[in-house]
Amino acid sequence: MAWVRRRLNRVELRLDRREREILLRIVDELRPGLGDDPRTRLHAYDDPALDEEYQRYSKPEVEHVRAADIDAVRAALSGADDRFRLSEDEALTWVRAINHLRLVAGARLGIDDDGWEERGDGSMLEREEYAMLVTLGWVQENVVAALGA
Amino acid sequence: MPTEAPTRRDAPAGRDAARRDLPWNVVVWNDPITLMSYVVLVFRRLFGYDETTATKLMLQVHEEGKAIVASQPREQAEVSVTRLHAFGLQATLARG
Repeated sequence: MAWVRRRLNRVELRLDRREREILLRIVDELRPGLGDDPRTRLHAYDDPALDEEYQRYSKPEVEHVRAADIDAVRAALSGADDRFRLSEDEALTWVRAINHLRLVAGARLGIDDDGWEERGDGSMLEREEYAMLVTLGWVQENVVAALGA
Repeated sequence: MPTEAPTRRDAPAGRDAARRDLPWNVVVWNDPITLMSYVVLVFRRLFGYDETTATKLMLQVHEEGKAIVASQPREQAEVSVTRLHAFGLQATLARG
C-alpha cells in the first residue's frame, strides 16, 4: 500500500510493484498527449510580436523540461525498488511531472471549469482518465504535503 | 549642425528606456485541474512567499480567475513566466 512521508531532508515514497505498474501505464497512456490541450499551450504575451519571440526562444525550453520531468519519473518507476528517497529537487520533478499528466487527463475528459469533482458527472466517473486523474492526484497531493512539511 | 535633431532622437529613446524599466505584472490564471496545494507550493518555491501570502494568492486565482503574483522588470518577469509554465501553470506577462 502506497505511502509518502517526510524524513529529514528527503521525501520518502513507497509504491509496491502493482502500484508502480499502474502508474507506469498511466504515464505511457497520457505522455503522448502532452501539449495537446489548448490550456497548456504556452502563451506569454498579448502582443503578437512579443509572444512570437517567446514561442521561438522559451517554448522549446519549457517543453524540454516537461518531457524530461515525465521521463525521469518513468525511469524511476521502471526500477525494482519499492521505496523512493527523493531529494527536494527530485520531489519537485515528481509533482511537476504529475501535474503535466493530470492536465492531459483533464483535457481528455473535457474538464474546463471548476466544480467537476463535486458534480460527479456519471459518464465521466466511468472513464479511465478519471481514475488516472484521481490516482495521480493522490500521489501529487501527498508529495506536495511532504515537501511542505 | 547637430542642433535639435539629436534631442528629438534622444527623447523617444529616453522614454523607451523608462518604459523598459517599468515593472511587468506576472499573472497566473485559474485552471480547474491543478491542485490548490500544488499552486501554493509553486508560489512559495518560485517567489519565496510565506504560506499565508501564497495561499491568499492561490485563492485569488481560484475565486477571481487570475492574480498578479509578482511585478518585476520585463526580463525577470519573463523568466518567472517561463518557470511557471515549466511547473504547468497558466501564466502571462502584462505591462504594469
